[in-house]
Amino acid sequence: MKKVIALVLALTVCGSAVLGCQKTTTTTTSTSAAAATTASPATTTAAETTAPAGPVEITVVTSYGGDDGNRVNYETAVAAYEKATGNTVNDASGTSNEEWKAKIMADFETGAEPDVLFYFNGADANDLVKNKKVVSIDTIRAEYPDYASNMKDELIPASPADNQKYAVPVNGYWEGLYVNKSVLADCGVKVPGADYTWDQFLADCGTIKAKGYTPIACSLAEVPHYWFEYSIYNHDTVATHDTLPASSTDTAGTAWVAGLNDIKTLFDKGYFPTNTLTSTDAETFQLMADNKAAFAIDGSWKIGWFQENAADINDFTVTYVPAQNERKATDLIGGLSMGYYITEKAWNDPAKREACVKFVESMTQDAVVSLFGATAVTALKNGTTAPTDADSLVLAALAMTKNATGVAPAVQDKLNQTARTALFSGSIKNIVTGSMDAKTAVDEALAIKE
Amino acid sequence: MNSVIYKRKTPLLVLLIPAFLFMTAFLYYPFVMNIMNSFTKITGLGTSSEGYNTPWYANYTKLIEDPLMRTSLKNTLLLMLMTIVFQVGIALVLSLMVDSIRKGTQFFRTVYFFPIVISATALGLLFNLIFLYNGGMVNQLLEKFGSGAIDWKDASHYLFTMLFPVMWQYVGFYFVILVTGLNNISRDIYEAAEIDGASGLARIRYITLPLLRNVLCVCLTLAITGALKVFDLPWIMMGSGMPLDKSWLTGTYMYHQTFSMGDVDYGSTIGIVIVVLGVVVSQIANRVLKEKDY
Repeated sequence: MKKVIALVLALTVCGSAVLGCQKTTTTTTSTSAAAATTASPATTTAAETTAPAGPVEITVVTSYGGDDGNRVNYETAVAAYEKATGNTVNDASGTSNEEWKAKIMADFETGAEPDVLFYFNGADANDLVKNKKVVSIDTIRAEYPDYASNMKDELIPASPADNQKYAVPVNGYWEGLYVNKSVLADCGVKVPGADYTWDQFLADCGTIKAKGYTPIACSLAEVPHYWFEYSIYNHDTVATHDTLPASSTDTAGTAWVAGLNDIKTLFDKGYFPTNTLTSTDAETFQLMADNKAAFAIDGSWKIGWFQENAADINDFTVTYVPAQNERKATDLIGGLSMGYYITEKAWNDPAKREACVKFVESMTQDAVVSLFGATAVTALKNGTTAPTDADSLVLAALAMTKNATGVAPAVQDKLNQTARTALFSGSIKNIVTGSMDAKTAVDEALAIKE
Repeated sequence: MNSVIYKRKTPLLVLLIPAFLFMTAFLYYPFVMNIMNSFTKITGLGTSSEGYNTPWYANYTKLIEDPLMRTSLKNTLLLMLMTIVFQVGIALVLSLMVDSIRKGTQFFRTVYFFPIVISATALGLLFNLIFLYNGGMVNQLLEKFGSGAIDWKDASHYLFTMLFPVMWQYVGFYFVILVTGLNNISRDIYEAAEIDGASGLARIRYITLPLLRNVLCVCLTLAITGALKVFDLPWIMMGSGMPLDKSWLTGTYMYHQTFSMGDVDYGSTIGIVIVVLGVVVSQIANRVLKEKDY
């Protein structure tokens, strides 16, 4: 008897291991739909797209996690979608950085991708497009003609991989110089304006440092991206900035080297926080909220952070980044770099297809886009609506974008993930401390072709 | 009747097969694949290999030349040493003291063991706040006493900042093992020694430590092999080798190469080094710290 029990137990364990490895299929309410789920993605038919009878759960990954300025707006918009549809959202959002990007790519490669992804539409997403992991807007429109119909098609960026459009943009972005006005007032320094130069900036930073404040809030260990972008922009023009160098010695490469050396100068002068090489972005930005730092470059999404963390929002403003050479201070970095993707996996799941489409439509409707960034570049046909109760920071951002003389996209988006990690997580700290020269760093990053 | 089932070994063998299959599928097969991957070019996790490297041992050459790999090996060996000295050492001192008191033994067992049940991620965040430069607990205290704030993650302090939480977390684990070992030593021996006039230190030297040897050997073996696997706390606290690539451990460096840099084949090569190091070190530890029968 005991032998039989032992045998049955052994077979049960073996059986459960085998069953655990089996591919799961989505349970649907009708027999025909259940049969459809077993069909290959290539043979998906209209019958499969029948909306599910009950609510479904979709997994969504965005960059509105952590301390993102739009986190509250995102949660509100998700709650509204859940209430309207009865569906639930399993939110796996994070903070946009190189690690976040790497994790997303790993999720796709291991088959653990989300159903909807809010992600970059440049070279970062090339692998998703090449490996057919995401669905094009045209494919979705074949079944849902109104999908992204509130957007100007010509402003929806196409993927560099195949020139097709995949991501529905919410709001674009700009990058600008956030200023702590109370720190500047205490130091007797004027808020930078449209004709502010790099030399004036260096002089003002000296004054601010002498007064005991940190001139620039930036973590060179974690997010040197914005200073890198504007520093090389200062050796470029609006027309030439979006050019990826072939080497450190060509025109674009020379600009990159000069820009990186400018960052080193700022570091050598002690204008970054004392712990810039060991701190996180959140730590350094807290210096702004605590009235301990004067300047920080960040994107339009950071407005929400100031609104949440500043004791008095009127102490802060956003303005043009100081310029040198041919670039005017009023030339901005900006564009529509991110958008909502529906993954192929979710699209081929009849239970989730409509839920994902409705989610993207819900998150990209005019009111939500305006809520997320009324000051930002937008693809909305009707444009964004500025909030009636706009605070001084939002008004400053609106004035800045309105008077911009040129907008160039961030050229770093053209580097692949590995090259960007090597440059931003690896090389910049070594450049500023003198253990690597900028030329070598640029050539090493450009040599990484994946 | 009870021994009948053990007379025939077939049922036992059948019961061992599922675990063997599981280990083969989820440990030995991936390990063999990992060795093969280290000779090929793979640019993303889950993506297919693009063929063999040129030369096929390129990753191993890179491994030898990579200064960050040397840093990670050096730090891992240092961590191992620190683990022996501080984790097991402090646990031994604490267990001897707790064993000497009459009341509160259970209380101290719970208190010292508690860090083990907290996730390393939570502990990492906790220690990040303790060692925060602006407004961290330690710096607030320093400023209160008139000293300037210290960057606890800079090149002068990073080792302490990284190793202290790791040491602190596992002291309780070895403490509980050692206290249990101490409880198994008969009180009669201590009483006899006391009658013979042995002092407290002499009792520890000539009774406790020799009789605790086997338990100490287990603790040391666990500590040495455990040090090779430390990953989460240093990763949360020191990020990407902070400061200036000085704090890499073999585990964190392998993760960085695989997930952040997308260099899966090089990550596989580092993985092999970790396994080889683990096998060699644990073999040495087993031989040096061989248990004795009393």
